[in-house]
Amino acid sequence: MTPRTFGLGALAAAALAVAVAFPVFAGGYYVRLATGIFMFGALASAWNLIGGYTGYPDFGGAAFLGIGAYTTGILMLRAHLPFAAALLAGGALAVLAAVGMGTLLLRLRGHYFAIATLGFMLVLRQVAANLPITGGGSGMNLPIASAFTPFYYWMLGTVVLGALGGAIFPRSRAGYAIAAIRENQDAAQVLGIEPLPYKILAYASNALLFGAVGGIYAYWFTFIDPPTVFNIDFSIQAVVMTLLGGPGTALGPVAGAIILKILDTILTNISLFLHNVFFGALVCLLIIFAPRGLAEVLRRRGGIVRAIRAELEDSRV
Amino acid sequence: MPLLRAGAVTKLFGRLVAVDRVDLVIDAGEIVGLIGPNGAGKTTLVNLITGIEPPTSGTLVFDGTTLAGLRPAAIARLGIARTFQIAQPFRNMTVRQNVAVPALFRANPAAGVGQALGEAGAILDTVGLGPKREFSARALTTPDLRRLELAKALALRPRLLLLDEVMAGLTPAEVDAEIAMLRRVNAQGITLLVIEHVLRAVMGLSHRVVVLHHGRKIADGPPARVVEDPGVIAAYLGNRRPAGRSG
Ligand SMILES: Nc1ncnc2c1ncn2[C@@H]1O[C@H](COP(=O)(O)OP(=O)(O)OP(=O)(O)O)[C@@H](O)[C@H]1O
Ligand SMILES: [Mg+2]
Repeated sequence: MTPRTFGLGALAAAALAVAVAFPVFAGGYYVRLATGIFMFGALASAWNLIGGYTGYPDFGGAAFLGIGAYTTGILMLRAHLPFAAALLAGGALAVLAAVGMGTLLLRLRGHYFAIATLGFMLVLRQVAANLPITGGGSGMNLPIASAFTPFYYWMLGTVVLGALGGAIFPRSRAGYAIAAIRENQDAAQVLGIEPLPYKILAYASNALLFGAVGGIYAYWFTFIDPPTVFNIDFSIQAVVMTLLGGPGTALGPVAGAIILKILDTILTNISLFLHNVFFGALVCLLIIFAPRGLAEVLRRRGGIVRAIRAELEDSRV
Repeated sequence: MPLLRAGAVTKLFGRLVAVDRVDLVIDAGEIVGLIGPNGAGKTTLVNLITGIEPPTSGTLVFDGTTLAGLRPAAIARLGIARTFQIAQPFRNMTVRQNVAVPALFRANPAAGVGQALGEAGAILDTVGLGPKREFSARALTTPDLRRLELAKALALRPRLLLLDEVMAGLTPAEVDAEIAMLRRVNAQGITLLVIEHVLRAVMGLSHRVVVLHHGRKIADGPPARVVEDPGVIAAYLGNRRPAGRSG
């Protein structure tokens, strides 16, 4: 363990301790804000596994969020299962769906994959709008929870899971496979890596987190309908947060979620118009000035000469 | 007992016959040189053996296992490694991580992450990339990228190693060092198929030389006999690629 990873680990542990104690001393408004930040931190961490580490730009994450939300809702409402059991089933179903879809879609190259995942999500939205068990287009009301604080801890759990995944993944054998596949699939194959199972692993991990967030979200908001959960906005936000913090880094997506949600809240309070142009403008600025995220910008302060040289080398080919 | 046996292997690209009914036997422990003018089908043959492309017809058997239908990863795990003529590094990984990848995924037996990284360091020392182990692969020069290709192939612990022009662009002194290194690799029990345009290198290194021309095998024998073969001389002169050209 290098001093730097040790330092980051200590920082993360301290942040976690503060987060666990937070509802004890903070007011309800801030606890709700933090819950939203955790939710998007988890989604961004999830997207980072498939879009950042694996290099497959998934735009259909809301498919898994919706599966998690509806499974949780249906099981609580119609089978009277306790929330935790329903949530577990929702996560499991999201994983199953990802394994099935991944087997089909992860053979495609990047941009085809992006379109196909979006299509998959839109199909599910139509299905949910037309099934009797989901309540169709008029949506579904879940039982109302007695207290808010548990949602805070459930979402904290998902973001911790996402951050841990992001930290452990690149150091693992599977992480090496994923990196090699992202960098050069042909070269990875002749070195003994069968790409599809590893891509499915990354995609299913992403789906597990989206599904879990969906289940918690459904119970938290107590009402879901197809356009709210099968909503591409979840993916777009996850992508922007990941790009902001640094794709392919462990804590970048969480950092991106914190920064963006706080800015977003401040801007909404100042002017709704500002808030509306903010996202689009941010995406343009990021792509132009920091395509590899803030993590890379910070790193460059240490080795700026080397980074520039690498950049020049890149543009030469 | 041959390690690799190719029987009438053929590859068509549309109407182009890239590899034309090639029979080839490579025995365990051999160093076989594979030469031929540009476009002769050398790289295509390596692609067929490693499963990157399926042969149109013909058979490939490695140590008793038929390769037909096997995916590249499965063939690699049987013990066949290759380098690419145009280096295929994992650009955004360090040199050491590049070499750890095959150590993690070989069948012979696979290493854990820590062990793979350690082993990668040792292999990088033997190919002369030791001092650059923590560089990002994107920062390597072309000759260094060739060395990295070789290091990755070695980390797979192959029984058969297919080298597609690993010496192109090296200085004469570097070529000599490379030859000495490949001899050491071979002495460890790794069978080599060496594609090379640096004829001095192939002729000095190989026990046997195979010549391809327009996809056909036109000669197969000891280096001294192959260089005197009128068909081989005609193939090279006919293509205005005089023997002895380097790089
Ligand atoms: N994927 C492909 N599609 C179509 N034609 C191909 C393909 N790959 C190779 N060829 C053609 O097959 C023939 C053999 O090419 P190959 O690359 O095997 O030659 P080579 O002997 O390796 O040549 P060089 O010495 O230039 O590397 C060439 O005419 C080439 O243009
Ligand atoms: Mg070639």
